[in-house]
Amino acid sequence: MTKRLAIAFAAVAALLVLTAAPAFAADAPIPVNKPNSTALVEHPKGYDGLTVTFTGEAIGEVMARGTYAWIHLNDDAYELKNVEEGAKLGGYNSGMAVYVPTELTKQIDTYGDYKHEGSIVQITGTFNAACKEHGGDMDIHATSVRVLRPGHVVVDVVQPWKVWLALALIALAFGLWRVERATRNLVRPNRGV
Amino acid sequence: MIVRPRREDHLVVGKYTGKVIVGVGMLMVIPLITSIAFAEWDTAVDFIISIAACLVFGFGTQAICRTQKDLSWSHGLVVASGSWFFATGLGALPHYLSGHAGSYLDTLFDVMSGYTTTGLYLMQDLDHVSMGLSMWRHLLTYAGGQGIVVIALTFLFKGTAGAYKVYVGEGKDERLLPNVIHTARAIWLVSLTWLVIGTLFLGVRGMQLGQGPVRAFFHGLWVFMGAWSTGGFAPQSYNTFWFHDIGYEVICIVIMIAGSFNFALHWAMWTGNRKEIRKNVETISFFITLSLTTMVATFFLAKANVYPDAMSLFRKVFYQLASGHTTTGFSTIYARAFVTQWGPVGMIATTVAMAIGASACSTGGGIKGIRMGVISKAFFQDIRRMISPESAVVMEKYHHIRDTWLSDGLVRGAMTVTIAYVTLYGIATIIGTMYGYPLVDSAFEAVSAASNTGLSCGVTSPLMPAVMKVTYILAMWLGRLEFMSVFALLGYGVAVVRGK
Repeated sequence: MTKRLAIAFAAVAALLVLTAAPAFAADAPIPVNKPNSTALVEHPKGYDGLTVTFTGEAIGEVMARGTYAWIHLNDDAYELKNVEEGAKLGGYNSGMAVYVPTELTKQIDTYGDYKHEGSIVQITGTFNAACKEHGGDMDIHATSVRVLRPGHVVVDVVQPWKVWLALALIALAFGLWRVERATRNLVRPNRGV
Repeated sequence: MIVRPRREDHLVVGKYTGKVIVGVGMLMVIPLITSIAFAEWDTAVDFIISIAACLVFGFGTQAICRTQKDLSWSHGLVVASGSWFFATGLGALPHYLSGHAGSYLDTLFDVMSGYTTTGLYLMQDLDHVSMGLSMWRHLLTYAGGQGIVVIALTFLFKGTAGAYKVYVGEGKDERLLPNVIHTARAIWLVSLTWLVIGTLFLGVRGMQLGQGPVRAFFHGLWVFMGAWSTGGFAPQSYNTFWFHDIGYEVICIVIMIAGSFNFALHWAMWTGNRKEIRKNVETISFFITLSLTTMVATFFLAKANVYPDAMSLFRKVFYQLASGHTTTGFSTIYARAFVTQWGPVGMIATTVAMAIGASACSTGGGIKGIRMGVISKAFFQDIRRMISPESAVVMEKYHHIRDTWLSDGLVRGAMTVTIAYVTLYGIATIIGTMYGYPLVDSAFEAVSAASNTGLSCGVTSPLMPAVMKVTYILAMWLGRLEFMSVFALLGYGVAVVRGK
């Protein structure tokens, strides 16, 4: 009996650990960038050539060019939750362009767009106020990449009131079109203009 | 005495405004199809609502305003500016329904910016916007560049003599062909040919840069639309900085400059008159002022040691200046980098380039190259008069498709519009400074809005005071329609209230 109880406890504990692990990863605190993208753009000379650690949502796509690739990390108000998911509006997007070995980008599973919230990625690398290698671009050349939180699919649900409004307007437009067609040749008398 | 418009005048204005708005609704079918293709159902419903609203307005006004009277000059001007007003209000519906706008005023700002090919925007979380809404943003600016009235003329107007008056009301006065509807179609022929070639180049380059085929195609299409229309919208918040590639930038520069040229020049080239590009007063004026502003900005940025080498310096300066001068608004630097890296002289050089702007009867804005050419020629003519014997007759001519002798009336017309632009730039700048923005920043942004450029140094933001948003909306509208149509609409409004 005690053995069975012990096995049951172990099973429950294992289940808890297994189910809690992703939850723990999902809820892992996201560090606040110091400096963030705004500070880097506002004071580029102050950070030029320094090693920075930067965290943000991987956005758009990876553009692999041989052994190196470009990614873009946004550290804005939509970093964890975007407008489609109900995030409050918090201004423009902001972030940094990151030049990184292509091999390191393979761990990034999702890039943010309308249907996705991108992975939260932390990189460490050298900040360039005007990169000599890239025609004066402001960028970070990363040497390490770590995914802090995987991305996920975003479902944008159709609002029922929008469907009703659409149907009502279509009906009204159709009715007016019929009226316009029916009365096209009935021109009002010209009153001396 | 102000004459109150008669009922028949209202009917004419209503009827033709309704036609243009039906055209706007038809245009929304393209983003609707895009949304459906990408299974963006909520966005698709937004577009169905918006199309239906345009049709309700268009069919409603046409049903009420039944008349066979043709357009007069004043009707044409009122229809042009009135159409833009209503097209902005209804074209903003998809933006508002998307939830990416802070207020309806913000959506009006974005749509007016699109139609006027400005490129400033207040939309938030742009990087998570749907494909359908992205298509609409760029289509707005592409359509706005050709002129929304031109679209209506092409597809909806049937041989009305008054069509030319609406066409002129939209800030275009070149008649490429004897018939204005044929002219509108010629504009589309040129634009669509460039669309195919430009999208192909950008799309292939995008794939070489590591983009997937679908994204490369759509980014290529949208960046083309932004460049050709000199609109400056781009699918990502990073604008064309997204691509990090000199090849992509070169293609963009070629398209921006081509888009900023007069449609009459395009038509001359199209019909085999290749020499025109070297002789035309607008291209000469453009290359002189672009060279001068680039040299000034390059000199001071080199002194400030902002960029690590000469190639980087020239690449950054020429791209931003070409973008500013063609009134496109593409950038490969962060908006605030104008302030934090370029500094006042670089910003002033860019402001001057934006203020001068593109060619007349193009997709671009600003004072326009032809006016700069005419005023410069008149200036040198006066100097020659001063140093010539009193009995000498000093004549001056300029070349735009054909040689034209300078007359006092011509110079006065160019000066009047130039003064109107400078006044608009000044008023919008003063309003910015009244809200506490530094003078150089405020002038940069005000000129960018009024010249329909769209470069920003960070003043434009969703948190900007509402008065400034309204100021910039009006500045974009006045700048794009070159004042007369908007004044005609205001005059029409005054006549309705106070006329006898």
